[in-house]
Amino acid sequence: MKRFLASALLITLVFINLDAKSFASEESEAAPGEIVLKVCNWEEYIDEGDWDEDEVIDLESGDIFGENSLVEDFEDWYYETYGQKVKVQYSCFGTNEELYSMLTMGDEYDLVCPSDYMIMKLMSEGMAEPFSEEFFDETKEENYYINGVSPFIREVFEENEIGGEKWSKYAAGYMWGVTGIIYNPEMLSREEASTWNVFTNKNVYRRITIKDNVRDAMFAAIGAVKSDYLLSDGFLGSDDYSEKLMDEMNDVSDETLTDVQNYLQLAKDNLYSFETDSGKADMITGKVAANYQWSGDAVYAMEQAEEDDFILEFAVPEESTNLWFDGWVMLKDGIKGDAAKKHAAESFVNFLSMPENAVRNMYYIGYSSVISGGEDDDTVYEYIKWNYEADPEEEEEPVEYPLGFYFTGDYEDEDYILTVSEQQTRRMLYAQYPPKEVIDRSAVMLYFDTDTNAKVNRMWINVRCFNAKRIPIWFYCLLGVLLGGGIFVVIRTKIKNRM
Amino acid sequence: MKKTFARKYLGIPYAIFLVLFVIAPLLVLFYYAFTNATGHFTVENLIGFFTDSNTIGTLLYSLALALVVTLVCLVIAYPIAYVLARSRFNSKGVVIMLFVMPMWINFTLRLTALKEILTAVEGNLAFHPFINTVIGMTYDFLPFMILPLYNTISKLDGSLLEAARDLGAGDIQVFLKVTLPLSMPGIVSGTAMVFLPAMTNYVVPDMLYNSTYIMGSLIGSYFSAYDWHNGSMIALVLLLIIVLFTLLTGSEEEEKRGGALL
Repeated sequence: MKRFLASALLITLVFINLDAKSFASEESEAAPGEIVLKVCNWEEYIDEGDWDEDEVIDLESGDIFGENSLVEDFEDWYYETYGQKVKVQYSCFGTNEELYSMLTMGDEYDLVCPSDYMIMKLMSEGMAEPFSEEFFDETKEENYYINGVSPFIREVFEENEIGGEKWSKYAAGYMWGVTGIIYNPEMLSREEASTWNVFTNKNVYRRITIKDNVRDAMFAAIGAVKSDYLLSDGFLGSDDYSEKLMDEMNDVSDETLTDVQNYLQLAKDNLYSFETDSGKADMITGKVAANYQWSGDAVYAMEQAEEDDFILEFAVPEESTNLWFDGWVMLKDGIKGDAAKKHAAESFVNFLSMPENAVRNMYYIGYSSVISGGEDDDTVYEYIKWNYEADPEEEEEPVEYPLGFYFTGDYEDEDYILTVSEQQTRRMLYAQYPPKEVIDRSAVMLYFDTDTNAKVNRMWINVRCFNAKRIPIWFYCLLGVLLGGGIFVVIRTKIKNRM
Repeated sequence: MKKTFARKYLGIPYAIFLVLFVIAPLLVLFYYAFTNATGHFTVENLIGFFTDSNTIGTLLYSLALALVVTLVCLVIAYPIAYVLARSRFNSKGVVIMLFVMPMWINFTLRLTALKEILTAVEGNLAFHPFINTVIGMTYDFLPFMILPLYNTISKLDGSLLEAARDLGAGDIQVFLKVTLPLSMPGIVSGTAMVFLPAMTNYVVPDMLYNSTYIMGSLIGSYFSAYDWHNGSMIALVLLLIIVLFTLLTGSEEEEKRGGALL
């Protein structure tokens, strides 16, 4: 009995001890003086560290290597810089809609990273917390974002407004890109892939996929149905081409929606599928010949295919392309006016905007960062060079590819002209940093308000559903007779059995 | 007396589960189905269900799909179950295991494999979306048809069959007049377990590239556009159809069926 008691006591002690420990660690998480920052980002959308040793990016200005995750690095960096402990609670979401649902259900986050249209929605609904003035102070070295953001992205954020407020006030960019068609050049010519009408092209009958989400499918379809107008000399030559293009691509009038629906219904009979995530894999395995794709995923697919000596290319349709970006937004519900927390959130954005961290992210994720590094820092340009510059001994006909636009805003800038293989002007580099003419024909897709959203979803359901009107009347008569007969038989047998 | 009290308390965990995960969600479903975006009571969603040719078309498409899947499953499962249950060979357990084992493997994994096999056979999956969906669902749901059938047929009283033979019935007659009617509970239970999920399981058509919505995907599409109300109404009507279906086919077989369910 004594022994039993002793062991029982021991077990209890162990448990109490464990309990105390777990309690203590919980307490330390919320310890006074420590800031808890709740961050929610896309899945696999930040460098999680743990690189292999041969993955070192050896740039002229020094090696870049991801040992720990950027989140951990941020916590250390913040403590070293400001002498204040921060605990980042990092979590992920799968789609913008999912994030929005989480927020409306009452989840509180301090900093989230939705896409352009969701940023606009959060702004218009007053959920976003504006960045402080200090964040935009270019004289401070630690303001890496404002000092390092590409002039091109900065302009987009300055020029666009929601409800009279500039995007830049509420959002700081993270990654950006365009949309286009990744295709197999053996099955489709570049010319054929360079139009949104490609989805009804019979040369890729049942061998082309489009995104299974209404916004992307709609952008492509608008480009297709307005193709003739968008490519007419009058439209291309108009003075306010950019504004007009943006209006056209964001046209949600009933007539356009009807045209879009008709086009997508036609396309549906020509498509391999509407895909959510399988597009890249199907492209690499050769199941499909062409695929609507975001530039970053296209880069990934081209790189993967190349490992099997399978060459894929990327084309941006002539009509227009969807310029998209994901950006950091602080939320009022999370920050709750806490200045220290806000400072930590802004610092997180700044930390990710340090050129070497931007490079780590770009290497890890495959998308293009909005950070160009500013005038004094060439890390990002060196990284592009490291990635794409042609080896003059191996390359027979290298071409010059101007990148100045992303760094100084000037395409002609001689400091930023890269010598690359001719292939790269149709492939990864073209997707990651498109040439001037592509940027010129890019348009941002605005968010839909509640009414438009319902209208657009109706259109989408019309495309995807089997419409009862397509069934001939005799079928309904037959169905009615069969159903009636069946019910009659069942009821009769039941009555019989009762008697 | 004490004993009954103790037994009663055993039900508490399940009661909590029932309230939290069955009754509460149903109430929420009802609430959303009969309200509009401003939170007021409305029957518009209900009327919308029956007047929207897309919803009706999708319902018919799903019904047709589910019907074909169930028939195919039945045609494949019945002979197998019959042979397994009536034969006397020793490795029965092994054969049954072969049918049940796939269920231990994650089903998206199985579908991914099936996708590759079908591509190898057909060349391009997109040419036969309907047939592919039927194949995918049959692959998935077949064990749910075989097991109830096997259970019912193996419990069949052999003396009844002998009696039928003694009274002069041929093999075919014995099967049609005795075996088949007596295995009805298994058929009904198997049908219920295949037909209902076949109407709503949209992962299969999604993964096998069927671009036409079935009921499950239609509900999902409303939800992702933040339209909880129409989506809930469709889910609710579907629930009622299923309840009706079970009432019509099941109520009497229910008493005869014993342990036929998995």
